[in-house]
Amino acid sequence: MSTDKVESTFFRRTSRWKLIVLLLIIALIITVIVSLNVGYAQIPFLDILSIIGKQIPGLNSLINSSSISAQNSAIILQIRMPRILAGVLVGAALAAAGVLYQGVFKNPMADSYVLGVSAGAAVGASVAILSGLSFAFFGLRLIQVAAFVGAVSAMFLVYNMSRVGSRVPVATLLLCGIAVNFFLFAVVGLLEVVAGDELHSIVFWLIGGFSNVLWKDIWAIVPFIVIGIVGAYFYARDLNLLAMGEETAHNLGVNVERSKQILLVLASLITAAAVSICGLVGFVGLMIPHLTRLLIGPDHRILLPTSTIIGAIFLLICDDIARVVATPFASTLELPVGIITMLFGGPFFIFLLKRKKGYAA
Amino acid sequence: MNKKYLITAVALIVIIAAAAFVYIYYQSQTTDPGLAALQNLVDDHGDKTTLTAYPNKIVSVAPSATEILYAIGAGDKVVAVTDYDDYPYDFSAWIAAGNMTSIGDFTNPNLEVITSLDPDLILASGGVQKQSVDTLRNLGYKVLVLDPTSVAGILENIELVGNATGKSAEAKTLVDSLTSRINAVTEAVANADKPNVYYEVYYESTSSWTIGAKAWQNELIDLAGGTNIFGDQQIDYYQYQVEALISRNPDVIVLPASGMGTGTQATIDAVKARPGWDTMNAVQNDRIYQINPNIIERAGPRVVDAIEQLAQFIHPELF
Repeated sequence: MSTDKVESTFFRRTSRWKLIVLLLIIALIITVIVSLNVGYAQIPFLDILSIIGKQIPGLNSLINSSSISAQNSAIILQIRMPRILAGVLVGAALAAAGVLYQGVFKNPMADSYVLGVSAGAAVGASVAILSGLSFAFFGLRLIQVAAFVGAVSAMFLVYNMSRVGSRVPVATLLLCGIAVNFFLFAVVGLLEVVAGDELHSIVFWLIGGFSNVLWKDIWAIVPFIVIGIVGAYFYARDLNLLAMGEETAHNLGVNVERSKQILLVLASLITAAAVSICGLVGFVGLMIPHLTRLLIGPDHRILLPTSTIIGAIFLLICDDIARVVATPFASTLELPVGIITMLFGGPFFIFLLKRKKGYAA
Repeated sequence: MNKKYLITAVALIVIIAAAAFVYIYYQSQTTDPGLAALQNLVDDHGDKTTLTAYPNKIVSVAPSATEILYAIGAGDKVVAVTDYDDYPYDFSAWIAAGNMTSIGDFTNPNLEVITSLDPDLILASGGVQKQSVDTLRNLGYKVLVLDPTSVAGILENIELVGNATGKSAEAKTLVDSLTSRINAVTEAVANADKPNVYYEVYYESTSSWTIGAKAWQNELIDLAGGTNIFGDQQIDYYQYQVEALISRNPDVIVLPASGMGTGTQATIDAVKARPGWDTMNAVQNDRIYQINPNIIERAGPRVVDAIEQLAQFIHPELF
């Protein structure tokens, strides 16, 4: 193949990638706009635009919002907007982390449960709930800080236990992670038994969701998630080479141990930040990377950004469903978003899997 | 000849039946009327239990049942309670001192401990204890399930426990006094408006839970002269949308006091600081109150305390 031909294939491919990412970003923006209109309170779209416009300096003097109630304004600015942003961030984070875990482990079942990260977060949150303390830590609630600390500690525990000399074999890591995961969930079970009156607090936290997130919570997790995903993108090429086997990757100039270490730390930080505000929202990290691979292909340079955006869209839609599902019955009920992700995600994923019969992760 | 035998036989049967009737009638007149009350005790799940004598060893598998037993003067027969029991006495201290046996967790009572005590009567509650109740009955123990769905149901439970323990008169007196206290509240609020009340079950960044029409706190709020703001929802405990609460705009907020952090004021300030809550009447008018969860969540005599406290929260101008 001549160099010209290689270059032209490359440019054709990258321009196709750019188009895909652009289309997905447009889809995300549309989903965000639709989500702003979804909820118990029926607020006309023009009112929503005025409420948001009123917050923009320079534009606010032009908008007459005297007809808009304080309640509706609070619902858009303090309930729906942070919640939508949380959905975008958490969905993006869990999907991106899923791509990294599956890439490093070369295992289709890998997700945030594998390194004990989710279980660590659950233990941290349960301890915080049982302590009965409620002091704030840089404006964050103790539960959130404890969940984050628990998640990161579990990851370091698993990683260091799996070390054999200077190497960390993937198989050992996987088995250690599973063992620690079971152990930590047993600890959560024990804490639930002794929880007494606080039992429901632990159970509700474990169900997961982001109904009442604050702007503060969003600002706290944004740096972890953005830096984590952008940082991981620079290792997308390494992930492609790791997919051919660690030996081959090493021969092609990849510092295998170092790349693995950095990717796992990044994935775990991203996950820890997400679960610290939303509890255990399942299935996004496992399913979205596979779904994206089915739709777009296995190259990590495109898989990582597209999975991230599709994860955000998917979780946002699931949260919208969680909010509107009972509205036709004049109900104020809301379903836990984690139940929606699994209820709708599972069958949809199997449908895709069946259509692409030859698919193997 | 045959006719003669027939007449004799009929006469004999009539005489024996009459004697038996007189004997049974005489028996029922002379024995303790309380013992008759031990027949066919029907519990909240419709199961019938018959006791042959007043129970001397009672195991209470629910804090609400313990509260009823002590309130009608049958507390001296209680031999075991759950780890959650804390009223009218500090039972964990009694258990630690060896003066009371613990049957463990409310959701998972220790059946070996219960059988080793060989109780004459076990008082259980519904829901999570269903399976334990079935097992205990299969083992031959007498179990009464107290699973009321209304305040009237609690009062019936008090009379049922009274009948089962030979304290029918005491139970009747207690029920009368509770009824007159409830009537005092409902009469006082009869002509007042009914403010919207939000009752909190759980609130965290992940989700928020409250009560609908089928939780009995709904009835307590109603008796206290308020309207549960989610009383139109035909459900008991459920996850609600906060924007629905903001839209409906509660006049009064009631929080169970435990598990919400340390100081009372700190808890109330935290509620005021929740996003969007500053638009609510309850927050703007400082109408946020805390209540002891044990009096409002347990189906015992203290629900009347809860009704009185709620009435003070909802209608401070009347009390």
